[in-house]
Amino acid sequence: MDEKIARQAVYDAVIRAVTEISEDVKGLLEEARARETNPTAQSMEDSMLENLEIAKRLDKAVCQSPGYPTTWVSFGDDNFPAYMKEVISEAVGEATRKGYLRPSIVDPLTRVNSGNNTGRGVPNIEYEYNPGQQYVDFIISFKGCGAELGNAMQIMTPAKLGKDLVGLKRFILETALNAGGKPCPPFGIGIGIGGQMDIAAKMSRKAISTRRWDDENPDPQLNELEKELKDAINSLKIGAAGTGGDTVCLAVKMDRAHTHTAIAPVAINFHCWVARRAGIRLWNDGRIEKLL
Amino acid sequence: MATYKLTTPISEEDARKLKVGDVVYISGHIFTSRDMAHLKLRELLEKGEPLPKDFQGAAVFHAGPVALKNEDGSWRLNVIGPTTSIRMEPHADWIGRIGVKAILGKGGMAEDTLRCAEKYGYVYLQAAPGCAAKLAGGVDRIVDVTWFELGMPEALWDLECTEFGPLVVGMDSHGGSIYKDIKEAGQKKIDEMYPAF
Repeated sequence: MDEKIARQAVYDAVIRAVTEISEDVKGLLEEARARETNPTAQSMEDSMLENLEIAKRLDKAVCQSPGYPTTWVSFGDDNFPAYMKEVISEAVGEATRKGYLRPSIVDPLTRVNSGNNTGRGVPNIEYEYNPGQQYVDFIISFKGCGAELGNAMQIMTPAKLGKDLVGLKRFILETALNAGGKPCPPFGIGIGIGGQMDIAAKMSRKAISTRRWDDENPDPQLNELEKELKDAINSLKIGAAGTGGDTVCLAVKMDRAHTHTAIAPVAINFHCWVARRAGIRLWNDGRIEKLL
Repeated sequence: MATYKLTTPISEEDARKLKVGDVVYISGHIFTSRDMAHLKLRELLEKGEPLPKDFQGAAVFHAGPVALKNEDGSWRLNVIGPTTSIRMEPHADWIGRIGVKAILGKGGMAEDTLRCAEKYGYVYLQAAPGCAAKLAGGVDRIVDVTWFELGMPEALWDLECTEFGPLVVGMDSHGGSIYKDIKEAGQKKIDEMYPAF
């Protein structure tokens, strides 16, 4: 693929990610509104849908918080996209100047704001090499950080997982209940199980940020767990905005990796309803496909 | 559930009228303040120095706007929405002491805030999360900004508003908290579905 065309496509995808929310998430939000029986939650969901319409009409950001950008890039043998960091930084800088993104990235200790939403380690890019892959996949997600405040991680043990995974389910539900309205519900939850702490945490973010929220998990056991947990969390009646209602959770997305016999690391990662993300596939032969 | 239209400065009497579930719109001045501005205000109080704004009857919004600078150096608002309020929980007492009558944010606060809301007569108001373009419609103009050196989100912005909202009373001055009720009922439900072992 011609590098100039690829750079433009990535740039455009970043701008799309910060100016609209993922269509699958919007669809789930509309369905939740149609089902909702709690008046306060109805009013909150009406505000959310109206907000999307106003942001589009007035060419404004959907949310004041730009979140934190993470990118997943996979590539094959002769198509390593060396331009990625430069193009993403340019697009993020431009989006910041135009007011789509508030400058919000700071040093973790001094708290000094870089002013342009980039900095040491930001944008974060996760590269993956797949031998023989004839395309480059690019997915960027700007995940809000109120959602991060609800996140939890536990190095569980075989005993703690419990019979029929009751211990695991309890941990996930209690984490959702404690998070309540903090992660801007109706939220999505990514759950990574296995590996060590770092692997579980990365899987949790990738699951909720790169999968469509209305998809099915090809792993049958995880697919069943995703559905059971989503329904169980919604039965807690936390509701949109956390002020009561039928739908607090739009999706649960899980992934697993083998781990050591002594442990079962579990990472729980919340995503607000403002799913700002975009993904494209850049084929070596020049075709460009929309992923998200 | 009643609907109230309040104007700042908000009287203690008006704040105490509000009950969990009521809908509120605020006109007048709303001051934004997040983690860093709260720490600055507390520092000034501890040193006995004057505060940059009059907080008697004030509405404090846990939020940081997206603002754009005009050529003459003034600011215009692009969008604004609530940030997660629980981070400001450690400030529950002095916020009441300086006269704040309405805290605006999202996600709710905890026991210290509930106790201080009763003690000082203030309320916690929940804004719709992630609705920054809609909420910006209630802001007429940015009056000024204090401590911009803290960064755009963390500075203290003075916003002139007309019927900013809708906001829902999440915590009132009578010990009522929608968040506490949901949490207690939710924990019972978890114990039924997936019993502790």
